Amino acid sequence: MLLPLLLLAAAQQIDSIPPRVAPRTVAVDERLAGDVGLRVGDRMVLSSTPGGPGDTVIVGALVQRAADPSEVARAEYRVRMHLDELQSLIGYGDRVDRFAVQTRGGAHTDSAIRAINHAAFGFQAYRSREIAVETSQTFLVVSRFHRAIGVITIVASAIFLLCIMLLKVDERRRDVAALRMIGISARSIVRSVIVEAASIAVAGSGVGVAIGWAASLGINWFYRGVYRTPLAFAIVTPGIVALAVALSIVLGLVAGFLAAQRLVRTPPLELLSGRREQRGAANAAAI
Amino acid sequence: MLFHLAWATLLRHRGRTVLTVLGVAVSAAMLLDMVMLSSGMRASFRNMLVASGFELRIAPKGTLPFDTDATIPNATSIAHRLQADSDVTTVSPVLGGQLHVTVGQRTINATALGGIGRVQGDYDITDGRVPSAPDEVVASAEFLRASGLAIGDTIRAAAGYDPELRTTTGSRALRIVGRAHFVYLPAEQRAIALPLETLQRMQGARSTDRVSLFMVKTRAGANADTVLHRLQRTLPNVSMISTASAMQQVDQRLSYFRQLALILGAVSLAVGFLLVTTLVTVSVNERLGEIVIMRAIGVARERIVLQIVLEGIAIMLAGAIVGLGLGLLTARYLNSILASFPGLPAAIDFFLFEPHDAWTALGLLTAVGILAGVYPSWRGASLPIALTLREEAVG
Amino acid sequence: MNDLVLSTSELRRDYHMGGDVVHAVRGVSLDIARGEYVAIVGPSGCGKSTMLNLLGGIDRPTSGAVTIDGARVDRMSDRESTRFRLHHLGFVFQRFYLMPALTALENVELPMAEAKVPRGERVARARELLAYVGLGARVEHRPAQLSGGEQQRVAIARALANRPRVLFADEPTGELDAHTGTEMIALLEQVNRDGTTIVVVTHDDVLAQAARRVVHMRDGVVVDDRMATR
Repeated sequence: MLLPLLLLAAAQQIDSIPPRVAPRTVAVDERLAGDVGLRVGDRMVLSSTPGGPGDTVIVGALVQRAADPSEVARAEYRVRMHLDELQSLIGYGDRVDRFAVQTRGGAHTDSAIRAINHAAFGFQAYRSREIAVETSQTFLVVSRFHRAIGVITIVASAIFLLCIMLLKVDERRRDVAALRMIGISARSIVRSVIVEAASIAVAGSGVGVAIGWAASLGINWFYRGVYRTPLAFAIVTPGIVALAVALSIVLGLVAGFLAAQRLVRTPPLELLSGRREQRGAANAAAI
Repeated sequence: MLFHLAWATLLRHRGRTVLTVLGVAVSAAMLLDMVMLSSGMRASFRNMLVASGFELRIAPKGTLPFDTDATIPNATSIAHRLQADSDVTTVSPVLGGQLHVTVGQRTINATALGGIGRVQGDYDITDGRVPSAPDEVVASAEFLRASGLAIGDTIRAAAGYDPELRTTTGSRALRIVGRAHFVYLPAEQRAIALPLETLQRMQGARSTDRVSLFMVKTRAGANADTVLHRLQRTLPNVSMISTASAMQQVDQRLSYFRQLALILGAVSLAVGFLLVTTLVTVSVNERLGEIVIMRAIGVARERIVLQIVLEGIAIMLAGAIVGLGLGLLTARYLNSILASFPGLPAAIDFFLFEPHDAWTALGLLTAVGILAGVYPSWRGASLPIALTLREEAVG
Repeated sequence: MNDLVLSTSELRRDYHMGGDVVHAVRGVSLDIARGEYVAIVGPSGCGKSTMLNLLGGIDRPTSGAVTIDGARVDRMSDRESTRFRLHHLGFVFQRFYLMPALTALENVELPMAEAKVPRGERVARARELLAYVGLGARVEHRPAQLSGGEQQRVAIARALANRPRVLFADEPTGELDAHTGTEMIALLEQVNRDGTTIVVVTHDDVLAQAARRVVHMRDGVVVDDRMATR
């Protein structure tokens, strides 16, 4: 359970508690130190109630914040102190919120969990992974949201790409008509459009990856400043790059193929004049 | 005639027009979603806060309401001092906790809210009535469903649980007199509301004369922030938050979504602009002969530009209408994802549709449609007539 | 028919192509009386189309003057010359250049709509003009549904819409077969007989012979200017 002063008790080694004669030291997180102007060696009073009596302690160390996503949105201050001192300060008695246990790994972990849960009175042992899954629900939601935005963006991009390819290829229909009339096959024309589309897709991917990488630097710089955390908010990995490049190339090729097919299926004379075949009948009727 | 010519030109290339409209629709949908996202969460959070009419909230020093398990001591004295202020009309104390309810062989845990029935603002009765006796409670629909209980049933609930001895403390029989919708809790939360004093007794010495939160209503016309500052001076050992400062906290915590909305909205507009510019440019390039002939026969350049820009606007408007429907659908889908945030009150929507949002998106799209069409059409309409005619003849 | 509708004085047009200067029209002075039917002929590249563009205010001369009914066309701004063309001149081109999205009727209406002629009046006049050129039964057809000759007729009707003082035609039979070209020549003769001054540029000897006056150009200058012998 969290305490009124948002103190987090670090599990230190539990020695027999010597009688205190001098203020003990605590470690203060850098955000707190920065906001209130604390330095190593400064004294402060820790109390469990606002304005209430407390213990005088000395700032023994400043602790850099961990890159913990769960801390990002919470504007909390943290103080690390000796377990016994915290227990005494908040009147917790000989109690803790949890133990963190390191085993020899593998099967040893399983047998340790079984043994603890069998013998335990009122507490339960969990693998760290299970706890992590439970506590990371928020980030799973954010991940799902980002993935949905990503899918929508891909679908939108596919439509945009198809639109623009169709427009640009359509613009060259007279050139295509002339090529067809001098004997260039539809297949060659489609192939050349696809090569062009693929080149544009590859070049575009390169530019896009560069922009994405630069954007991720900007995003991390900005949000690290806003939330005062070393957490990385955007990471461009080889896998992500490979996926983005593969998707854009596939989309580009498909868009180019569809655009080219539409063009070569139209008779060359119609491409040139813009008139449809059925005009022939109207012509005959007029004469 | 210009409108007719613009319309006829668009219809002449139906496939191209439809595809461009579709592209603009996708862009418009995304823009609408982002406009909704940027204002929706804020609006729905604010609506939730003001729904019950309490403008001020008082929490333990240095905390936000129910952010921690901390409680405020000397609650009775504080309540009297709050009530004594001339601008304060209602004070609602709230104590939070957990109840462990035994149902047959099972134990069901529920969030407990202790309050005073006639002034509380945490729940709305959907069936039954507000508790009036010390042993009466109301429960959320999810609790009733999970427990299989109904209005009129009696439950055995305990406020404490000793995990070592596996025994409960502060146990008491309570009768369910109503079903309630808990305004500030997630829809799937199992919750029970009961009289404040009952919960305090059940929690034992640690909760004697303590509450988690006070909610305060001010009289009509009073400035909530002025009242807040005055009360804060008299009660320095608590933290006071007005709706405005709560909104600031929310803005800060949810700033990521607003920034995301801004960036994606800008990208949507840029892509829509690109699409319409490309369409207009291609269309103009194809029709250079027609355009210069119109100039040759005496149609003014501005009128030609207007006709072409009208085509761009028509596509934008058509795309915006289709995009409106598409945007509402995707907003619903995206909202369902974000609504599964753990602990998010059911009243919060991330994507809240307000007509103002649709008008904003439409206005932006129209402006972009005009901008996208102006340059290529002006360029086309400004070509030298004789030279262009010669090139067209050769081409 | 002595009153002048169009006159030019020392008209010149030079084009700069890379480092070279092409003198397309070199000091041409020409007077055309109201109601005349003038053909400007000459080999390719002699400057006849450029001459037509200068006369019609579509192009601006390097030097010299163009006067139509007392108005100095060469000194007009782009906006002024556009308005002038709308109200006082008509154009027919080799490639017809009808608006493919509009019907024949709407194509003829277009200049009148621009001149703010009320709808009822312009529709009636458009129908009248299309009947005049022999297309009374084809008013609702789009250009794609018309033959080349029919399209050119529509173009002529459009050129006559605002009752121009001069009708300029640049190779009006250039894209037509011989038979259709003959029909076009007959139509232009009819238009001239009904009072419209016509200036036509052509390769077509038959069309040139239909004109009452033939101006020969070569290398940008007028080498011969005489009444046509029939």
